[in-house]
Amino acid sequence: MSPFVAIEQVGKEFALGSGERYIALKGIDLEIRKGEFVSLIGHSGCGKSTLLNMIAGLDLPSDGVVMLEGDRISRPGPDRMVVFQNYSLLPWLTVRENIALAVDEVLAHLSKAERYEIIERNIDLVGLRHAADKPPGQLSGGMKQRVSIARALSIRPKLLLLDEPFGALDALTRGNLQEQLMQICEESHVTAVMVTHDVDEALLLSDRVVMLTNGPESKIGQILEVDIPRPRKRLEVINHPSYYSMRSEIIYFLNQQKRIKQLRARKKGAIARHGLEKVNLEIGFVPLTACAPLAVAQEKGFFTHHGLDEVSLVRESSWRGIQDGIAGSYLDAAQMPSGMPVWLTLGGMDGKSLPIVTALTLTRNGNAITLDERFLTQGVHTLSDLKRVLLETADKRHTFGVVHPASMHNLLLRYWLAAGGIVPDQDVQVTTIPPAQMISNLQADSIDGYCVGEPWNVRAAVEGIGYTIATDLEIFPGHPGKVLGVREDWAQAYPNTHVALVKALLEACRYCMDEANHEEIRAILSRKEYLGVDINYIYLGDPNPMVCDVQEAPKEYAHHLFYGQGVNRPSRTEHLWMMTQMARWGDTPFPRNWVEILERVCRVSVFSTAARELGLSEITYSRGAIQLFDGVTFNTDDPIAYLNDLAIKHDVYMADIHLDTALPKAV
Amino acid sequence: MVAKAGTRSSGNTFSESMRSFWKKNGQGILLPAIGIISFLVIWQFLSSTGITRLPAPSSIFTEKRTRELLFYPFLDRGGLDKGLFWQTLASLTRVAQGYTAAAIVGIGLGILVGTKPKVNQALDPIFQFLRMIAPLAWVPITLIALPNVQLAAIFVIFITAVWPILINTTVGVQQIPQDYKNVARVLKISPRKYFLKILIPSALPYIFTGLRIAIGLAWLAIIAAEIVMSGVVGIGFFIWDAYQQNYVSEVILAVIYIGAVGLMLDRLMALLQRLILPNQ
Repeated sequence: MSPFVAIEQVGKEFALGSGERYIALKGIDLEIRKGEFVSLIGHSGCGKSTLLNMIAGLDLPSDGVVMLEGDRISRPGPDRMVVFQNYSLLPWLTVRENIALAVDEVLAHLSKAERYEIIERNIDLVGLRHAADKPPGQLSGGMKQRVSIARALSIRPKLLLLDEPFGALDALTRGNLQEQLMQICEESHVTAVMVTHDVDEALLLSDRVVMLTNGPESKIGQILEVDIPRPRKRLEVINHPSYYSMRSEIIYFLNQQKRIKQLRARKKGAIARHGLEKVNLEIGFVPLTACAPLAVAQEKGFFTHHGLDEVSLVRESSWRGIQDGIAGSYLDAAQMPSGMPVWLTLGGMDGKSLPIVTALTLTRNGNAITLDERFLTQGVHTLSDLKRVLLETADKRHTFGVVHPASMHNLLLRYWLAAGGIVPDQDVQVTTIPPAQMISNLQADSIDGYCVGEPWNVRAAVEGIGYTIATDLEIFPGHPGKVLGVREDWAQAYPNTHVALVKALLEACRYCMDEANHEEIRAILSRKEYLGVDINYIYLGDPNPMVCDVQEAPKEYAHHLFYGQGVNRPSRTEHLWMMTQMARWGDTPFPRNWVEILERVCRVSVFSTAARELGLSEITYSRGAIQLFDGVTFNTDDPIAYLNDLAIKHDVYMADIHLDTALPKAV
Repeated sequence: MVAKAGTRSSGNTFSESMRSFWKKNGQGILLPAIGIISFLVIWQFLSSTGITRLPAPSSIFTEKRTRELLFYPFLDRGGLDKGLFWQTLASLTRVAQGYTAAAIVGIGLGILVGTKPKVNQALDPIFQFLRMIAPLAWVPITLIALPNVQLAAIFVIFITAVWPILINTTVGVQQIPQDYKNVARVLKISPRKYFLKILIPSALPYIFTGLRIAIGLAWLAIIAAEIVMSGVVGIGFFIWDAYQQNYVSEVILAVIYIGAVGLMLDRLMALLQRLILPNQ
């Protein structure tokens, strides 16, 4: 069956006064099913109203076609009725006459009595019986919009188009009208497209939210399916477990668009100096204790020392921001969760392979699993306790937060759960939440626990919101935490810069490892431009012993490892382990050409060059096989057999991941 | 409570209501009255001292001819010797004819020009050129072009009044909000209905502005036209005739008539506008 509305490769250009052309929209592809409610959301000037007007036929696309039930839309018509932003009621007609104007014209084939009946029914539908004979000038904004909706519905359009229908209304009126509109749409199975800039409105009303990127050349950035069951209630949807993650998804998108605009304005070409190809670097980080090497390299002048004079650190609130910054080339390099280089290379992001290389592991350890305080009252001290409680409360949905699908936290948490016989995504849900929002989510009971880096475990324990059930020492001691990642094409375009960057950060890592500097580093990290949290939550070494005191015999806390033998060298074995874990949970396919992928991702040569030039060759030691807490040894020779032997896993896909021969490309 | 107050003061309701009326409107009546009276007093003084040759305002009553004209406006001795009412009526009739023609042509052409940008482009220079020509300048041309003086006078009224109507109508039509046009396009409203339900109501305030400016201009133009086109009954020629015979106080009386009629015409249009467009 062909889609109800099909928008195919639609673009729109406007002529500017100066004879230039402004490309507002480009390459828009969207299909809308019958009965679906779709919202278009984006910043002002992103062309969302233009797109709506093209569906209405008020505006024609410069490229591509818009089709309704297989017919090309070339002019406006009553089958696609628009509810305009400013109501567009005729002020010299009464409410009834305004509706009658539409009904008499469009439904002229009906008898007078039938038309009268339709008009009266629609007046009642929007509750305007008392105002039927008043001109619009005597109505409030909300009432006017109700007339506009009644006029639109009265002519029974195939498609209802709403252009920021509630934008000019106060919050209370808006809420009531949203519910009325939703009810009407559900009762009469209307297909609707709505332009809005209100995230909550989009989530409440829509089946799908289409997010548009900033102009010029706006395109569809992302489409979010809103799977909240209908009928929905305005005050109840927010309690849906995925409401806040969907909301933050949209808000993230909108913020990202704003940031891209700022970065675009700031972006300048590469500045070559001191024999380096580029000294003006934008390096992304997420505020965590693990960002210490980056902060130290900046504050203690390690970047400058190695010739990188113009480094600016870009603080991202989530790993998603890092991922998009690298993918969009807005960041030169970034602190990444250790799994992200492989994950991006394997096409974890939208199934498109983005080759990333890593030449330095910045930190190890520093992660822990925190459970909600209420599990403590249920006597959960170990993994098997947790399984028992989960079995007892099987009717309840349990959710754990991780920071990114490719982060070690996700892999560790899933490994840990699976080792205890708990199947992730089945017995418990795993959802992505930015690190800094973990505590508030735990407090709001929207998650039951999380696996995240410091300071968020210490803080939950100190504030009595949650407690640490397991640290990474108990799961995978010495696992890679954060790595330095850059795009492969970037590494090829700026090889000397890459080495200088690794050198600066390696020195910073060594600085972080020296306990004599810890007080100074904690002070740096607590500053607003880095973590911006109380210094008492930031520990580089052993934190306050109270954190792990739920155990009968408090265990050693897995403090961060920043530097040491085998700590910083990128390890193919570890990346292979992460590759198998991501394949295990069906996140990325397992590459048949895994040897090639590992060679491409782990730039051991860059690390070795940097270490040698710093005179630190003693640390380039390769680690042996990996053994985790459950006693299973990871066999690097045959990862496929390892995957096959796992008891708890999702569907594992194998694929050839074809990487383009990376050519040097100026970024 | 209101009723009680009413019964108590029923004896002097009239004086009471007079007092409240005065309280409300006193200033509005008093100040203009002071202004007018002082103006007349100064004029009277200047005339009596002989600084100006202009007769004093009191001459309207003191001059016999003028007093007759003032008290017997409906007098008709045939020919050009008619009372001021008939003179004014003759002028007004001409204005009505020319103005009606101007309104029909101006509104019709204005709608055409407003809806068709290409027509607008073609005709706009001509309009801008023609509207700059003073009414009096048209007189010789019309006297040559048209068969009789009556028609020429009406044409001068027409050509003076048509421009503000035409231009305001054009702007009014061009100013129809895109929203209304979009509603019409989406609903596929028939051209006839679009004209009646959207175009006319939307442009009406502009059209009325044009009509109101035009009535003032038309009244200005008729006086000038009649002065030049001698030998017709009309207030304009009356003034000219009186001046030629040196009946200056008659001129003053006629001027008062002209001012009063002009004021009435403007108020009439304003009233019409209020009746048709109560919300504007």
